[in-house]
Amino acid sequence: MTNDREKVFSRLKASLDRLPARTPYPDFPADVATPADRREGGLSVFRQRLAETSTRLFEDIASLGRWLGERNVLSGYCDPSLAAILRPAIPPSIRLSTNFDRQRPDDYQFGITRASAGIVETGSLVLKDRDTSDRLGAVAPWIHVACLDPGNLYATLADALTDLGDDPAVILVSGHSQTADVEGIMIHGVHGPGEQACLFMQAEKKTENGP
Amino acid sequence: MMTAETTVPGMKVVPKRDPIQTDRVQLMMTCLCDAFFDDAARASVECLEEAGCRVVCPPEQTCCGQAAYTSGDWETFRHVVRHVTAVFADPAPIVVPSGSCAAAMFHEAPIAFEGDPDLPRVQRLANRTWELADFLVNGLGIRSWRGRLDARIAVHDACHTRGTPTGPAMRTLLDGIDGLERVEFPDEDVCCGFGGVFSVSHPHISSRMGRRKVANVLSATPDLVVSADMSCLMHQRGIAEREGCAYPVRHLSQVLRDSMVTGS
Amino acid sequence: MSRQALDIFASELDATVLQAIDIGARSGVEKRLATLTQDYEDPDALRRLAGQLRQHSLDHLDEYLAGAERRLEENGAQVHFAATTARALEIVLDIVRASGTRVVTKSKSMASEELDLSRELASRGFEPLETDLGEFVVQLDDDHPSHIVKPIIHKTRHDVARSFERSGLGDYNDDPETITRRARSFMRDKFLAAGVTITGANFVSAESGRVVVVTNEGNARFGQAGADVHIVLAGIEKVIPRDRDLALLLSLLIRSATGQRITSYVELIGGPRHPAQPSGPREMHVIFMDANRSDIVGSDMAPILRCIRCGACMNSCPVYRESSGHAYRGVYPGPMGAVLGPLLADEGFGKLADLARASTLCGACHDVCPVDIPIPDLIARLRERSVREKVKHANQGVPPMSVYSLVARHPRLWRLVMSLGHLMERLPLARLPIAAGRAWLDHRTLPRWRGGRFRRWLRRSEKGRADD
Repeated sequence: MTNDREKVFSRLKASLDRLPARTPYPDFPADVATPADRREGGLSVFRQRLAETSTRLFEDIASLGRWLGERNVLSGYCDPSLAAILRPAIPPSIRLSTNFDRQRPDDYQFGITRASAGIVETGSLVLKDRDTSDRLGAVAPWIHVACLDPGNLYATLADALTDLGDDPAVILVSGHSQTADVEGIMIHGVHGPGEQACLFMQAEKKTENGP
Repeated sequence: MMTAETTVPGMKVVPKRDPIQTDRVQLMMTCLCDAFFDDAARASVECLEEAGCRVVCPPEQTCCGQAAYTSGDWETFRHVVRHVTAVFADPAPIVVPSGSCAAAMFHEAPIAFEGDPDLPRVQRLANRTWELADFLVNGLGIRSWRGRLDARIAVHDACHTRGTPTGPAMRTLLDGIDGLERVEFPDEDVCCGFGGVFSVSHPHISSRMGRRKVANVLSATPDLVVSADMSCLMHQRGIAEREGCAYPVRHLSQVLRDSMVTGS
Repeated sequence: MSRQALDIFASELDATVLQAIDIGARSGVEKRLATLTQDYEDPDALRRLAGQLRQHSLDHLDEYLAGAERRLEENGAQVHFAATTARALEIVLDIVRASGTRVVTKSKSMASEELDLSRELASRGFEPLETDLGEFVVQLDDDHPSHIVKPIIHKTRHDVARSFERSGLGDYNDDPETITRRARSFMRDKFLAAGVTITGANFVSAESGRVVVVTNEGNARFGQAGADVHIVLAGIEKVIPRDRDLALLLSLLIRSATGQRITSYVELIGGPRHPAQPSGPREMHVIFMDANRSDIVGSDMAPILRCIRCGACMNSCPVYRESSGHAYRGVYPGPMGAVLGPLLADEGFGKLADLARASTLCGACHDVCPVDIPIPDLIARLRERSVREKVKHANQGVPPMSVYSLVARHPRLWRLVMSLGHLMERLPLARLPIAAGRAWLDHRTLPRWRGGRFRRWLRRSEKGRADD
């Protein structure tokens, strides 16, 4: 393997030495590709953008609880650090597990985990590994609810991408999973959640790496 | 005389041409007009004269060599282009009734002459080579062509003119003619499938693309199909005729000339 | 008369396949244009900027590749280099064997197609699953993708329904929603059973070492939630200088590929899972594959390596639309494939050199490329190479230039041909052994010969135009 590394780098060097001049890094602002009418941040615009990405928004715990009741779900996964706050609002008939059993993935019709931030431009939720209690709880169930402190918003994609920090797995979630592979017809709900939701929850404790 | 204008959006780079300092122009007739479309070459001369130019047509000219470029035989291409630079050595602007031949000079020749000692000479040739419509509008500053021709016309842009001043210039000239109506048709910007050598190296695909183009154009029921390039029209008409359809084609120069005649 | 392979393939193509591709490609063209013009006043300026950025990245690839390697290792990932596709395959096999797993989930990766990875894993007793729906269908059919973004653009729902039925995934049902749900149910267990998951990389940031994976389906996410080991296979040209560059590149990539502003999921993976995270890879391996790319860097063909695999070029290419992806025979179809294919082919340039002939040089591809690759110019260069290297099958059907070369440089000879050319009209051109003549006349009429007439008119006219 060291052999291959040396081969690759020496070939690269030989190729690049041929160049009479190397193209310089162009000068451009990080937000050069932010559409002019999508530069504005703020909560009310974020609400519109969430709707655009078909992300269902719950402004408070009670409304989430009511909705889960209406959906006739039986059980779901919940971040252990959120269970105490959420349990009272969710109909008692709905089972909440704070552990995701990989042997029984279809036991969880919904998963509730934390989002670390939101991006207004694209209506996205930023999930980070250190704030996600279980990746499986966020990706496997049909419904995913991301709990977000609405104070943690980036105005633009560029803002978020230039502030990634050191979390090993940052995921920008913009609505539910989808595919148009069959005849170009858009179907939602493939391998990721078929329904994406966001619950606004004011910070009950500050996370270490907020924006 | 106006100075050159080359600002057009699009990815092709048209060089900044030398300012025009004389009313004398050299006509590059193109091999296709030489062989098949003499009236288009004649009409080009007449239009240029109508615009106040003195036209010379060096008799030693042959071809721009593009077919050699697209075939990959760049040695032949370079030989032919050197001949072109010799024949058109006169510093007067070179006007050519073909967007593809013009592109062969200003886009393709500089690529084929990279590292060649003749590159500067080739570049100087490119800097005074104009496609006809581009020359009339942006070289001479003609903003409207006075004339009359009652016809519905479908305008076809050769792919070599994508992003160059030719398309807009052609429309500027045609829109000035009374009685002329430009009709739209589907997939206007999709290639007709000629592609020079491609038309014979990939005849099946070339003719399928051509049939689509002919059907699209005819769906708008034009009286005439007009282009700044006879090459594409030759392919389209050839296909239409094989299918038994009428497909009356005209070079831009013929429309401009015919509109003058009936208008005066 | 021997014809170009791609033209023959196109002429034998089923009408339903052609129709499916036409619909899929056109929809791609429309969606791309709609989003770009809606969001940007000058999309071309952004494309030129992104082109310069990617070219800069390639021109400094030695530096950026080393930077990415360093950061990835700092973040706890293991970095490997593979000079060839064979070596990349060996590395993957070593890692998969060491993991002890039999099931391997895979996200869409064109680089992995260069190794024919799924087939190679299957032939060695592993159970590889293509998790992207389109690639899954391709796998079920033992087929090849025909588009780099829409692998089954050439298939109808009926085709997919039959594939599912044949593979035991239920009775015939061609409703796209049902098909998708079945794929979902089937794959869930596999994501959890797989010890190893393999992805490609849309980009790798040299600044942070982050591997960027962009999907709508969530398959890559689930793969990286279920498996213990994550292997990233990336061509060396995927490295980009800085995280900030992602804002520009992702914005253009996604709009160009699907017409969306952003895909459902954008993953920016720095290393193995966080220590407190119960699910996901404890091991992350990044394999940087060269496979002839380092020779292209720094050459006049280097711009093709800017490619960010959006697929816009093939959507806009009328030749692609008439012949389908499979006509290109290799991993990469369409305009970018016509350039990259011959240059990367393990067997050497000659193998796919004919692909460069399958173009009218119309430039539609260049006009949509988010990184401003001058594809027609690169295609022309490849033609020049195939002439210089005398690649026979690539040059067939192309008229030889020897007679033309002579005549075009000798005006007297030229004028003679012009005057006498009308004699040709008396010959049965269609039956003469002149391939180009037959190829033309099979489908088109020729105009009447009028050689010499314009020149005579010039001489006749009073003003002595010919020798002013």
